[in-house]
Amino acid sequence: MIVIFGGAYQGKLDYARENFNICIDDVFMCQDNSTEIDITKKVICGLENFTFACVKAGLEARDLLADLGDMLSDKIIIVSDISQGIVPLDADQRAWREMNGRCMLWLGKEADRVIRVFCGLGQDIK
Amino acid sequence: MNIFISGGCKNGKSYHAQELARDMAREKNVPLYYLATMIPHDHEDDARIVRHLAEREGWGFETIEQGVEICQALTGTTTEGKPVDPQGVFLLDSVTALLSNEMFRADGSMDLDCGRRLAEELTEFAKRTGNTVFVSDYIYSDANKFDEFTETYRAALAMLDRTLARVCDQVIEVAYGFKYIYKQEND
Repeated sequence: MIVIFGGAYQGKLDYARENFNICIDDVFMCQDNSTEIDITKKVICGLENFTFACVKAGLEARDLLADLGDMLSDKIIIVSDISQGIVPLDADQRAWREMNGRCMLWLGKEADRVIRVFCGLGQDIK
Repeated sequence: MNIFISGGCKNGKSYHAQELARDMAREKNVPLYYLATMIPHDHEDDARIVRHLAEREGWGFETIEQGVEICQALTGTTTEGKPVDPQGVFLLDSVTALLSNEMFRADGSMDLDCGRRLAEELTEFAKRTGNTVFVSDYIYSDANKFDEFTETYRAALAMLDRTLARVCDQVIEVAYGFKYIYKQEND
C-alpha cells in the first residue's frame, strides 16, 4: 500500500497520476456522505471524505479500513492532512480531525511507502 | 536563482528568505530589493510595517512598495526614488498578501478569478528577474469546512504556490527554523 498525503489543493492526485501510471478510471473518489469504498479501484482518493462520513455514521474509520485487510495491499490511498489548523468550533469537525488523524497513523504504520506532497512536489517519508 | 519558500506561520520563513536574498545579492554584487506587498489599512498595519522595517535595518534592502500588479515594480522606483534594476535580487514577502490584495481589492470590490492572471504575472516576474525569493504561507491543513470566499482564496493561493514551485529552481519548506529542500536545480 502506498499512502499519499498533504494539505488541501497540493496536487496529490496529480502527483499520483504522474508517478504511478494511473488514469482517472482507476480512481475512486470518497464522498463525505457515504462510508462505501469501491475496493475494485486501484486508487482511493479523498479519504478525508470517508473519515467525515464515518463521523456522521458513528463508525471508526480506522477499523473499517483494517477490516479490508489484504484488499488494501495493492492500493494507493490519497488523504488530506487536516491536522494542522485551528481546532474547529463545530463538534463534528473536531471529531473528524481526530478520526482522520487516527486513520492516518494506522495507514502510516501499514503502508509500504508514504509520500507527502507539498506544492505539487513529493517527499518520501517512508 | 529563483527560490520558493513556504511553511506555517511564525516558523522562520521570512528570516531564512532574507538571508538567502542577501547572500545572493552579495555574491552577484547587485542591488537587494524588498517588495513590500502589504497595503496598510489601520494602525495595527502601520505598527507592523514599522516593526518589519526595524527588522530589516542593516540588511541592505531597498524597499519597493508594490501591493498589486507586481511586474510594475520592475519599471518603477524604490521608496527613495531610485529606478529599480531588474537584474537585482528581489524578496517578495508574501505571495499570500499579494493574492489577498488582488482578490479583495482596497476599494471593496472582489476579483475572485484573479488567480490565473496572478500566476502568469508571478511567472513573468520570476523569468524577468531570475533572482527572486518568493515567500508564501502553508494554510492547507485545517479541519474546517470554510466559507466559499475562504475556499476560493485557499485554492487560488495553492495554485500560485504550485506554479511557483514549478517555475523556481529551488523549493524549500521551513518548519520551526529547520528546512526541507523539495527541489534543487543548478543555477
